Amino acid sequence: MKTIQDLEEIRKNTFNKVNQGTDRKTTRIVIGMATCGIAAGANEVYDAIVDEVSKLGLTNVIVAKTGCIGVCRLEPLVEIIRPGEEKVTYVQMSPYKARRVVASHVLVGTVRDEYTMHVIQGKILNDYTLDNDY
Amino acid sequence: MEVYHSQVLVCGGKGCISPDSVDLYRSLKSEIRKHKLNHEIEVLRTECLGLCELGPVVIVYPEGIVYNKVKGEDIAELVESYFIRNKILERLEYKVLEGEGKIRNLNRLEFFKKQLRIALRNCGIIDPENIDEYIAFDGYKALEQVLTAMSPLEVTETVKKSGLRGRGGGGFPTGLKWQFAAAQDTDEKYIICNADEGDPGAFMDRSVLEGDPHSVLEAMTICGYAVGSRKALYMLELNIH
Repeated sequence: MKTIQDLEEIRKNTFNKVNQGTDRKTTRIVIGMATCGIAAGANEVYDAIVDEVSKLGLTNVIVAKTGCIGVCRLEPLVEIIRPGEEKVTYVQMSPYKARRVVASHVLVGTVRDEYTMHVIQGKILNDYTLDNDY
Repeated sequence: MEVYHSQVLVCGGKGCISPDSVDLYRSLKSEIRKHKLNHEIEVLRTECLGLCELGPVVIVYPEGIVYNKVKGEDIAELVESYFIRNKILERLEYKVLEGEGKIRNLNRLEFFKKQLRIALRNCGIIDPENIDEYIAFDGYKALEQVLTAMSPLEVTETVKKSGLRGRGGGGFPTGLKWQFAAAQDTDEKYIICNADEGDPGAFMDRSVLEGDPHSVLEAMTICGYAVGSRKALYMLELNIH
């Protein structure tokens, strides 16, 4: 990149790749891979997603690593932004769940609600702990 | 290995001890077994879910139906209605309010909806290792403006006027610091980024450096221009306590 015009070119060309608005033209899959994500196993989730995307022959899909999304205790987090859709945040992901999400949400548009956040009275219930079976 | 198609959580918190002293968890488990559904439906007791006002609470996944104020005498009807006839037992169903239930978009949570991120604006959105994505959200635009349209003095004055202060305990006015540094009559000046984050347990600096490192680089470059420095250092200390 040599000139200010080059900078502007990069800005214009890349904005559509990163933009999370509903006017996107491509699908963006974002995996939280800051310290919180990696500690929770995001590397395996990322690999599974990349593999599933290639296995299904999906084009028009950007798979990106990102920093901390903001809910570290629910990591690994995967966010899917499809053209015309609002972003969906999947929590507590695993390689298996990630593959299901790619095959279901990314491929045919069926959101996997069972992997999203469940919020009642302001409490996120996803990371409940089990009591002893006494 | 059992493949369950339903998971039922029974809250085991103190607020969810059934008013008629029936152990809901035991009762539900045996009712499920009675109907020979124990290989399809998993019953789990959790620690306090924090929904004490609604207690006793029973939640069915994957649908996310929340049954509240469940009593021992309701168990048989609940199982018969929901698991056998596939009908939600309405009189015990907690009707979700606006912004509750299965939330798809993280930004719709009350906690995140009200946030205006400034230092963390790019974290969780861009790929921190991809400079193009940083540029896409006006990255390096400030540096462009500074280098083409502003003198070092104008940059310092702008920072001073903004009232920006250091984020450490001292809260020293940044513009003033830059002004003092610029005034030093010397050949070599260094911009040092303190990436040590010595505060035990703190990780806000790490979040910025992991999630949006280019913002720090751009800021240091602008500072170098304003102050008259040609070299910059990152100070990263590996602190193993």
